[in-house]
Amino acid sequence: MRNQNNKGCHSERSEEPAFRPDRASNRFRLRVLAALFLACATLAPRAILPLAHAEDAVSALGNLEASLEKDPDNLRLGANYRQMVIQTNQYDRGLKFFEKLVAEHDGSSNAHLNYGFEYVDKIPVAGSITQVLLANNALAQFSKSIELRASWIAYYSRGNSYLFWPKIFGKTPMALADIEQAIKIQKADKKQAYHVRTYIALGDGYWKMDELDKATAAWKEGLAQFPDSQPLKARLAKQGDELKAVIDDFYDITKRIDTSLVELFPSQNGQGVAAK
Amino acid sequence: MKKIYVAFLLLVPMLAGGAVLAEVIADGDTAGRWFEDITQKAGVAVKHTNRSFKNEYSAIMEGYTALGASAAVADYDGDGFDDVYVTDSKVDGKNHLFHNNGDLTFTDVAEQASLANGNDAENASADALWFDFNNDGRPDLFVVRFGHNQLFENLGGGKFKDVTKASGIDRYLNSITAVAFDYDHDGYQDLFVGSYFQATSLFNPDTPRFFPESFETANNGGGVTVFHNNGNGAFSDVTEKVGLKTSGWVLDLGHADANNDGWDDLYVANDFGPDRFFVNNGNGTFREMTEKALGGLDTKKGMNSDWGDYDNDGFLDVFVTNITDDYMKEGNFLWHNNGDLTFTDLSRETGTYDTGWGWGGKFFDYDNDGWLDLYVVNGWVSAGKENYVPDIFAMVTRPNVDFADLRNWPPMGNKSLSGYEKKKLFHNEHGQVFKEDAARHGMDSVRDGRGIAVADFDNDGRLDLFVTNANSEPFLYHNIAPGGAHWVEFLLEGTKSNRMAVGAQVRVTSNGETHLSFVNGGNGFAAQSTQRVHFGLAKSSTIDRVEVRWPSGSKQVFEKLATDKIYTIREGGQKPGVLVAKANKK
Repeated sequence: MRNQNNKGCHSERSEEPAFRPDRASNRFRLRVLAALFLACATLAPRAILPLAHAEDAVSALGNLEASLEKDPDNLRLGANYRQMVIQTNQYDRGLKFFEKLVAEHDGSSNAHLNYGFEYVDKIPVAGSITQVLLANNALAQFSKSIELRASWIAYYSRGNSYLFWPKIFGKTPMALADIEQAIKIQKADKKQAYHVRTYIALGDGYWKMDELDKATAAWKEGLAQFPDSQPLKARLAKQGDELKAVIDDFYDITKRIDTSLVELFPSQNGQGVAAK
Repeated sequence: MKKIYVAFLLLVPMLAGGAVLAEVIADGDTAGRWFEDITQKAGVAVKHTNRSFKNEYSAIMEGYTALGASAAVADYDGDGFDDVYVTDSKVDGKNHLFHNNGDLTFTDVAEQASLANGNDAENASADALWFDFNNDGRPDLFVVRFGHNQLFENLGGGKFKDVTKASGIDRYLNSITAVAFDYDHDGYQDLFVGSYFQATSLFNPDTPRFFPESFETANNGGGVTVFHNNGNGAFSDVTEKVGLKTSGWVLDLGHADANNDGWDDLYVANDFGPDRFFVNNGNGTFREMTEKALGGLDTKKGMNSDWGDYDNDGFLDVFVTNITDDYMKEGNFLWHNNGDLTFTDLSRETGTYDTGWGWGGKFFDYDNDGWLDLYVVNGWVSAGKENYVPDIFAMVTRPNVDFADLRNWPPMGNKSLSGYEKKKLFHNEHGQVFKEDAARHGMDSVRDGRGIAVADFDNDGRLDLFVTNANSEPFLYHNIAPGGAHWVEFLLEGTKSNRMAVGAQVRVTSNGETHLSFVNGGNGFAAQSTQRVHFGLAKSSTIDRVEVRWPSGSKQVFEKLATDKIYTIREGGQKPGVLVAKANKK
């Protein structure tokens, strides 16, 4: 892995839930920048207005940090901050900031969650071994977040992270346990479009455990509830190597994972992003 | 097979291009296999054994020294048939000089030639390189070792003399690779040696801190050592003077003229950290241009550096293997040469990204369709069912671990790490993508491959492969692709230039297309390929033009040559000759 994003061009994936990798896509960048602009204009108006220059972006980071220090548990603000970190390639600054933030606000579940995501955000620009360290650190922060508040997003995020680990590390059963917890929470809650993710992840976990029947059942259950889900349809339509290719591509650690959490805040960019 | 030949001949006028020809032939060939494993019947089935070190760290070192299976090709006796030198690494293991009998059988003459003793308690063979250091027309042999390298002068008549001490190259190095080219154009091949570990004795280490300090940015390896050939049988260490003082964990060196300015540049493939690219200034020095040329500093595990113009655009590209597995998805580099001393990695786009834990990777045109294909060997340690990956990551994720101290590394024992991987044979589809076809040709072995030496051992114009495997026997793959596609080979002899003509570029124009190749001095991990320059010409039955650019700066052009021949070209000579091959029977 090069210190910058790999230079090779890669085709965009055909299925694209909003948390998924979406590297080097101008469309994605524009969407994120637009979302950031709208969000930051509301949340930190003085910070974001002139985004044309790099120094402005760095200055915006500073203002967002100031806002987060006042409101460390604000998941949305943290997510916006992290997107700005990605745009400005300031990963180490972001990590250092969240390290300080959770030290000062140790009881803030969402600060830990954002800290975990900050590690995840850095993975595509890190070397292969550093990627493992970052992923490991992310898990620790997600665990701390769950410890503080057992939320759907925290369980889902940790469970989904486990699924990115190669089978040899034996983390898939832990993924399944977390995803099951997330499903329990969502079943007690109002149905949200992004809840489809748990069914995708549950099925993928079973598939990784070579339990194809359970995987299929999970994907079918998800499709019954979210009949327009393309990722679920794609999985159920494929078998063998084709299915493996779909899932391998989905969990390809060399591609950026979209951690903008934009689905959780549908009003942020004026339209939201429906889980597909 | 005869039936297929007839069908092929009938089809020739109807078909548009070599690639189409190849497909038609393949469909008609019931076996469909274009390579035959002749290792046993050729008499070269000698097992390589990894070195087991006998010291307090041996249990840990074992997992990181599964190296030393190599092969180096040259026609050492000038009989017109390429021979091959093969290394072993165990303490009492003998190296082999396989003399080519001209009928695809070989005779080991290493003992008679005084070239068998490459291993002892304080030296382990790692690689070998033929180069003509004294320009007498007889390839001499450099044996690359963990320990003290060896230089043998070829005296002719199948005899060699150890001139290591007299040459001034004798010192302790943990060398793993070497290339020889004339970087300063004084007419003599200079010696570039790449070392893996720093120069701590692996046999009696005086410190436990000789492992890589980082997995991504290690700077405590053996680096590159440059020995300038003084032209009198002696060499001088000019590493610092020429600007190549480095401390990476070198696994391979690859030289070529990247910008066609007549001066050979150098790609250094480093394990545990960034590869390096050095541009020849043309004044006896190099300048590092890694970041500009490669777009940054990588953190991968470079293991191979081979140059070839895979897309026929007139510039030589570079293929570098890295590690790609479930637990580490680095991907290879296929550095497309942009022609301005910058490169773009097109490994994903061309389908050459994933070859597992890659080792040697060689460009060669196996079907003579005019496009360089690619063979890649892989696999680190294929042992027991247990996997070493969790052990290594348990160390990696431990806080504040000192990686340089090998006592922190878990012993591998009988566990496997990226083992039992299938080799990859990529067919070049017109310079755009590569199609993997190893299984079809019976070349998808799961042994722990290391080096690939390419040569036309039977002078039939079809390139064969000698593949080395760690802790195992090699493979000699005889190319039996159906005939029909045309070819040409050139064996160059420098007069003003170094006699082996290393660095000379050859451009062949036929049917309106120009192909570029060059005489390389040992590129590719753990192997040296033939010194001949080979071109596949597909359906072109005549060669319109051959241009040779010699390292001396002189240029020669020949026109209207027949295909399907092995030509000899002497620098300054009037016209090419045809190679006379008559094997010296052993």
